[in-house]
Amino acid sequence: MSAIWLLPLAVGLPLVLAGLSALPGIRDRSLTLAVIAPAPGLAAALFAPRDDVLVLPDLVLGVSLSLSEPGALFLGGASLLWLVAGLYSRFSMRGKDRAGNFALFWNLCLAGNLGVFLAADAITFYVAFALVSLMAFPLVIHDRSQKALNAGVAYIALAVLGEAALLAGLILASGAAGGVADLKAIVDAIGLSPDRSLILVLLIIGFGVKAGLAPLHVWLPVAHPAAPVPASAVLSGAIVKTGIFGLLTFLPFGDGHMAAGAVLGALGFAGAFGAAIYGLTQDDPKAVLAYSTVSQMGLMLAGAGAGLAAGLDASVLMAVIAIYALHHGLAKGALFLGAGAMAETSGRPALRLRAVLGVVALSVAGLPLTGGALAKLALKAPLGPASALLITVSAFTTALLLAHFLAVVRPSGAAHAPAPRVRSVPVMLLGAGALILPWAVWAMSGLPAGYAWRWDNLAAGAAPLALAVLVAALAHRARLSAPRAPQGDLLVPAMVMLSAMGSSLQRAIAQAEKTLPRLLEVHVSKRVLRLGDLADRTEAALPAVLPALLLALILLIAALALA
Amino acid sequence: MSPSVLIPVLLILAALIPALASAVLPGRAIWRNGVNIAFAVFKLGVVAFALAGVAAGTEYEWRVAFVPGLDMILRLDALALLFITLSAVLWLATTVYAIAYLSGTKHQARFFLFFNLCVVSVSGIAMSGSLITFFIFYELLTLATWPLVVHTGTAKAMAAGRTYLAYTLAGSAALLAGIVWLESGAGPVEFVAGADLSGFNTLDQSLIFVLLIGGLGAKAALIPLHAWLPAAMAAPAPVSALLHAVAVVKAGAFGVVRVIYDVYGIEAVAMLGLGIPLAILASVTIVYGSLQALRQSDIKKRLAYSTVSQISYIVLGASLAGPFAVIGGLVHLVHQGLMKITLFFGAGILAERAGISQVDQMDGIGRRMPITMTAFTIAALGMIGAPPVAGFVSKWYLAIGAYQSGASWVIAVLAASSLLNAAYFLPLIYRAWLKPSGGGLPSPEALAATRTWMLILPGAFTAAAALGAGLFAGFELSPLGWATLIAERTYLP
Repeated sequence: MSAIWLLPLAVGLPLVLAGLSALPGIRDRSLTLAVIAPAPGLAAALFAPRDDVLVLPDLVLGVSLSLSEPGALFLGGASLLWLVAGLYSRFSMRGKDRAGNFALFWNLCLAGNLGVFLAADAITFYVAFALVSLMAFPLVIHDRSQKALNAGVAYIALAVLGEAALLAGLILASGAAGGVADLKAIVDAIGLSPDRSLILVLLIIGFGVKAGLAPLHVWLPVAHPAAPVPASAVLSGAIVKTGIFGLLTFLPFGDGHMAAGAVLGALGFAGAFGAAIYGLTQDDPKAVLAYSTVSQMGLMLAGAGAGLAAGLDASVLMAVIAIYALHHGLAKGALFLGAGAMAETSGRPALRLRAVLGVVALSVAGLPLTGGALAKLALKAPLGPASALLITVSAFTTALLLAHFLAVVRPSGAAHAPAPRVRSVPVMLLGAGALILPWAVWAMSGLPAGYAWRWDNLAAGAAPLALAVLVAALAHRARLSAPRAPQGDLLVPAMVMLSAMGSSLQRAIAQAEKTLPRLLEVHVSKRVLRLGDLADRTEAALPAVLPALLLALILLIAALALA
Repeated sequence: MSPSVLIPVLLILAALIPALASAVLPGRAIWRNGVNIAFAVFKLGVVAFALAGVAAGTEYEWRVAFVPGLDMILRLDALALLFITLSAVLWLATTVYAIAYLSGTKHQARFFLFFNLCVVSVSGIAMSGSLITFFIFYELLTLATWPLVVHTGTAKAMAAGRTYLAYTLAGSAALLAGIVWLESGAGPVEFVAGADLSGFNTLDQSLIFVLLIGGLGAKAALIPLHAWLPAAMAAPAPVSALLHAVAVVKAGAFGVVRVIYDVYGIEAVAMLGLGIPLAILASVTIVYGSLQALRQSDIKKRLAYSTVSQISYIVLGASLAGPFAVIGGLVHLVHQGLMKITLFFGAGILAERAGISQVDQMDGIGRRMPITMTAFTIAALGMIGAPPVAGFVSKWYLAIGAYQSGASWVIAVLAASSLLNAAYFLPLIYRAWLKPSGGGLPSPEALAATRTWMLILPGAFTAAAALGAGLFAGFELSPLGWATLIAERTYLP
């Protein structure tokens, strides 16, 4: 059996396990079984042949699977994260209500997630994308708290909207390509189609929802804190990556689509900076991490947008963003699981865990020679100087945001309780992966081996961090010793202003929530209701007159025919 | 008799014999049920045999002089078999369901008599080889369905029956007028050859088309002739299921397909400029039906308006022309049947076992009736167009077909319809599975007492079929494979 069969197995095993976890006898053990579900995906990322296509013509509308070199990074990173998070959930979710349920949707979601990275045609891609999109909903609302249900509504509304936009975009593109589903033909056809702008808008909306493109990102900060810890980890680390992967797969790179690229780039950077700053106003550590995800995804989206505008080749962008996504997925997974582990520890063990999280956070902020620094260097290399500068500067806001995260993630376990090893080991595994693995795949970036050691690159990574440390330290001191905002410290007023803006925005939203329904009720809904009643009355009255009407029509037509 | 003649005759007899048997075996439920199921299974066997034959290129035909010069023709071509297969499969499922649903109630013999006559007429409609044969069976269907609609005999049911007759008989009158006018100039119209329209000027051709489609549209629930369908939900659940999935609305939609492909021909319809207006009418129906469905709080009524919307997908596919649209419309004939019958089976079980008829009573019912509600959920997701359930396949082909016909606006209609479908189906799923159950649900013990497998399994089977039709759409004998075969034979004669 050749290694290419690992591709269908990567999707098939989670599906089979999902089916098994619905069976009564197995339901109680399904969480344990779910741990091995991502294993074939990981094996495929390591061993499956690249760019060979496996066609299963009888499934759906003809399923074809293939794995590209950058796709293998996406697949491998996601599989590793799902594997470790699965291990974590095996111990954290066991024995709780609906554990079997959790395993069922965990597996379905996983199958869709990995399927997206393996799809070699548009229909398979869409099927997998819809699967991961819809099946993440039960994971978000797993706790059934009011907070979770509200988050779920925000999630599913945006997800369905994104699905519809994506489907319409893919159909227009596939139609332009003569009705085929082949990826390359579709991408070529988008560039030439008369509906090009519409297709681009639809695809950017469809994928943007999933990737957390501002302003479509709003589900992330509510869904992440509401979902169980391991679900947040995969949501933030692996599932949002399907959005950026989709954009990289379908957008017609290489032709230079100035307007679409500029819009995507601008929105990406707006998210990268806006979310990082807004995240400072949050107290829930998982919400802070969610904003960090929006911010990091914003950088990747901005990279894609800048590349689209500049006419960069898809393969170049795909490779560097794959490295970035690999690092971010593992690091963010470690931070989420760490936030969960912190809740069960305190004292010295908590300090140790916080130190681990600190190192991972530094890597995300681009500390020189960490995996995160490599990811940033790779992303900057093919882009123009302005984009590269913005990415360098974003390390500053990222560092501030993650410092804020470290401040708000508080140990809340029993006194001096060490986090159980089954909690802390997954964090270490993912953190180590995030720090080291980008070195292992560095060759894909096409940059020289010693690139990260060059003094200008070291400085570009260290400077924003140093500045952030300085600002954070000043802010810390200012708040503790001189709460009345000492002179020369711009950070605190900025924070106050931001939080004032935030709270006034919240007030405004609350106000709007109160008045809008009334407006709608009085003006719109009554009219709509009246229209509906009119339709009902018409439908009720019609049968009485219909035969007469039709008879008259027939006579009229007969008269016409005779005349 | 040669197999060529035998097969169509057997397909009619397979439903006619149980109809008569149900009438002459009153009071003997076991015998009647046994005969009904045995013949449904037998018919399925005959259909399987015919499928193999037609796939290999055989055509079965039975022709007998009806009045001198006017032949009654029963012919099995690929299109007929698509419809026959659907009806045979769903008939078996519905028979099983109906036996359990009606067990212990009055007038079962009458019910099964007309139920089987209904199937006779659907088989006849599917196999009709000429317009006049089609009309005869079409009328038989109208008459055979009425006693089913009013089966319960309540005032509401009788009113629904009157509405039903007003619409369908008016439609039949228009259809008959169209047929007579057409055949007065073109002679007897057989479906293979199509009508010779050279004797008419283009205005007359268009008027005849309007009469034919208007007549068929009453049964296909095209707006503004759709209102009988939501009213007819007063019928018992198995009747609603059959009505919405195979019998009446499908007969209308099937007729529209026959008129466009086999009477006028796709080119003639396009030349007369009639395709796009019909597509617009179908689109309006799609959106209007979905909007009305959104307003309904009664589950069966919501499903009924959903049918109004979904049937027009078939008409839309037929009116757009172009191979992808043809495939999309034809395959939806099957897919919609599988999904909608599952939904109605589910709605019937909810009403019968848990006393639930309103949307807001569904809170927490998923856990109490997991099999029924899983089937219901799969079918509802399919209606929304979520892959890999069958509805996605239809939508994909329809949308690509619309694009190829230069009618890209249809994609917006389909997207809007998907969003509306999500808006009126997702709340049901959400309530059933995620909301905590209110006090109104029957206790698990009470439900265990009414757990009749003959009621539950048909829905599970049709849901699995809907899922399978999407998941294995690439197989040659899947609904999609068969629709593709029909499109190939239509376009490459």
